[in-house]
Amino acid sequence: MSTTDFGVTGLTCNHCVMTVSRAAALVPGVTGVSIDLVANGQSTLHVESDTVVDTAALEKAIDDAGYELVH
Amino acid sequence: MPSTHVDLALEGMTCATCAGRIEGALATVPGVTATVNFATERASIDIDGVTDATDLIAAITKVGYGARVIDRDERETEPPVDPVLTARVVVSLGLAVPVLLVSMFPELQFDGFQWLAAALTTPVVTWAAWPFHRAAIRNARHGATTMDTLVSLGVAVAYLWSMYALFFTMAGVIGMRMEMPLFGYAPHALYFESAAVVTAFVLLGRLLETRSKRSARESLTALLNTAAKSAVLLVDGREVSVPAGAVQTGDVVVVLPGGIVPADGTVIEGASAIDASAVTGESVPVPVGPGSKLIGGTVNAGGRLVIRATAVGAETELARLTRMVEEAQAGKAPIQKLVDRISRVFVPLVVALAIGGGILWFSATLDVTRSISVAVTTLVIACPCALGLATPMALLAGTGRGARSGIIIRGTDVLESTRRVTTIILDKTGTLTSGHPTVVDVAVDGVSPDTVVSSAARVEMGTDHPLARAVVAEATTRELMAETAKDVTVEPGRGVTGSLGSLRVRAGSLEWLVESGTAVPSALAVAASTWVAAGRSIVAVAHDDRLVGIIAVSDVVKPSAIEAIRALTKLGIRPIMASGDARAVADLVAREVGIAEVHAPFSPSDKRDLVARLRSEGHVVAMVGDGINDAAALAEADLGIAMGHGTDVAIESSDIVVVSRDLRRVSDAIRLARATLGTIRGNLVWAFGYNALAIPIALAGLMGPAIAGIAMALSSVFVVANSARLSAFRTS
Repeated sequence: MSTTDFGVTGLTCNHCVMTVSRAAALVPGVTGVSIDLVANGQSTLHVESDTVVDTAALEKAIDDAGYELVH
Repeated sequence: MPSTHVDLALEGMTCATCAGRIEGALATVPGVTATVNFATERASIDIDGVTDATDLIAAITKVGYGARVIDRDERETEPPVDPVLTARVVVSLGLAVPVLLVSMFPELQFDGFQWLAAALTTPVVTWAAWPFHRAAIRNARHGATTMDTLVSLGVAVAYLWSMYALFFTMAGVIGMRMEMPLFGYAPHALYFESAAVVTAFVLLGRLLETRSKRSARESLTALLNTAAKSAVLLVDGREVSVPAGAVQTGDVVVVLPGGIVPADGTVIEGASAIDASAVTGESVPVPVGPGSKLIGGTVNAGGRLVIRATAVGAETELARLTRMVEEAQAGKAPIQKLVDRISRVFVPLVVALAIGGGILWFSATLDVTRSISVAVTTLVIACPCALGLATPMALLAGTGRGARSGIIIRGTDVLESTRRVTTIILDKTGTLTSGHPTVVDVAVDGVSPDTVVSSAARVEMGTDHPLARAVVAEATTRELMAETAKDVTVEPGRGVTGSLGSLRVRAGSLEWLVESGTAVPSALAVAASTWVAAGRSIVAVAHDDRLVGIIAVSDVVKPSAIEAIRALTKLGIRPIMASGDARAVADLVAREVGIAEVHAPFSPSDKRDLVARLRSEGHVVAMVGDGINDAAALAEADLGIAMGHGTDVAIESSDIVVVSRDLRRVSDAIRLARATLGTIRGNLVWAFGYNALAIPIALAGLMGPAIAGIAMALSSVFVVANSARLSAFRTS
């Protein structure tokens, strides 16, 4: 079990947090999601997983939800 | 690992979403469990490990809010309520005392003392008394007169008249000595000390009042605990923990044993029992299995459940109940403060008397100065100095006494309603009863009751079903516990099978045993049907293929309930019971505690409607409850009393919180509130009384300046002493 942090931009409120949490949760391998919101700035997405997270899949999921993963 | 607790004061929160954000931020710090209370602007944090407060503050600052550590001293001794109010009190008291001394005692008067008194009084009546003037002006615009009007008027008239006398009469001459005759016209009379002391005392009263309100809120904060905010989503067979808000309709969610159901949903997989007592008021946890509908906010009391969410967020049953509470609260008109009600009549009356007296004097004597003096002294003496202390002193003593017995009274408005209460509606589960299923009877066939309880407990030991727990608890009380049965198998919602040596023991529902061909002795069948009719739940026990006994489990009446109902009746209050449970169960409890009027089964909106109906019939209704299901009724009632350990919504919707589970504290709370109100009334009568008695003297043109001082002293001493009597209040 490990936690990986990612930067995410485009989040403005708690609703965005819920949407992104959900999108990230659906990515294979993910076991836990939480987000530190920085409204209109770069928020931090904490992703817990048993194995290494498929970053490409995560990026696509976040992108599909309308937000952007920062490398 | 070391475990510590930290409390943080938070800054910058504007709405409940902010609280969620901060909670989220804290949750990301390793080893941290945090709850954020938006209303009190506090975060309560448990830390497992080496994280310290600076990490937490950094995490909060990162999401855009401010935080600082509250140390133990600060939590126990109240932080200053409002620094400006405190400053006004300190400054006005500091300046008023020398003014009072120098004015009252001619021996202390020196050349030019009156100018010093004027200088010391000026900041008191302008800056310190500013809140009263501002409120008085605001009231005047609406043609209203409140206590603020009285204070502002009295202070302003006393000050302006004294200033006029200082500058334009002999009173300003250096070397003047102010004599303090009790009666008689004193041409050099100055009333600086009245202006200063009235301001100081009324401000002090305000400060005491905010303090008592705040300490009531603090006690409340300690009671409120925030429900878990996370959920476990099931995605392609994986369990993913997410914030509870991320769950959407149609999602598959895992509810772990002891976990809170995060949304309304239908069980897909698993068997368990749901403790819905907080939401629906049903006392015994309900067994659930695939297809059962669950309400979000209820607690999973048994095994792991997989559910499909059918309603989330604002659509859930819980959200609907919360909206109902908000509507009820919005419809509740605030009670106008007693002292304002008196002021509404008193102020115009005094003003009329002062003007009328002045005019009469002028028409009789044609002496302008003398006539104005009569009018002014009337206004000055009418403003009671102890007025500002009358309510807060009693409230402080009353709420302080209440807090010592676990009775939290939320403000003065509450007291008025307690006086008039005619009817009290009591919830059953958790209010009249303990809220926990307990073994109440055992019927046997051919073996001893102990054998039945012991063998049932030994097979049910591992199961977490509430009925099983009651049986195990009973066995423990009877000191019958032995090692667990072997080869235990559970049939969800039906029963448990296990082996004790060569004996096969089954414990579960009677239907289940009958279906599998177990014969039921007629005596046990009769007992079973009587118990079911009385609303009891049954655990049937079979040894091999023979039914040996049945155990009755029921929610039991609290020992304090009977006495409490008697005490309420003695106070002239009609008790009514409303319950979410079945009629038979409710009737049984009502008979036991001595309540004649029972309403069951009642949904939360039924309860609210009952309160509304009784109120429209002219009854003043108190409601006692503890669950979310009671919240709307609590808010709708004239007086809402939440029993401690209740749900947050219930506590928030109530006017009085009784921390203890002892129902007698409810009648104590009403008695104490009534006693406090009585003391406030007594205080007000005398605060106004001493001064009102002096009004005729002023109108007769005979009031010496000392009268104002004496009235001030007598009423203040009375108010303080009378309030102190509340500390001796006895609980039953």
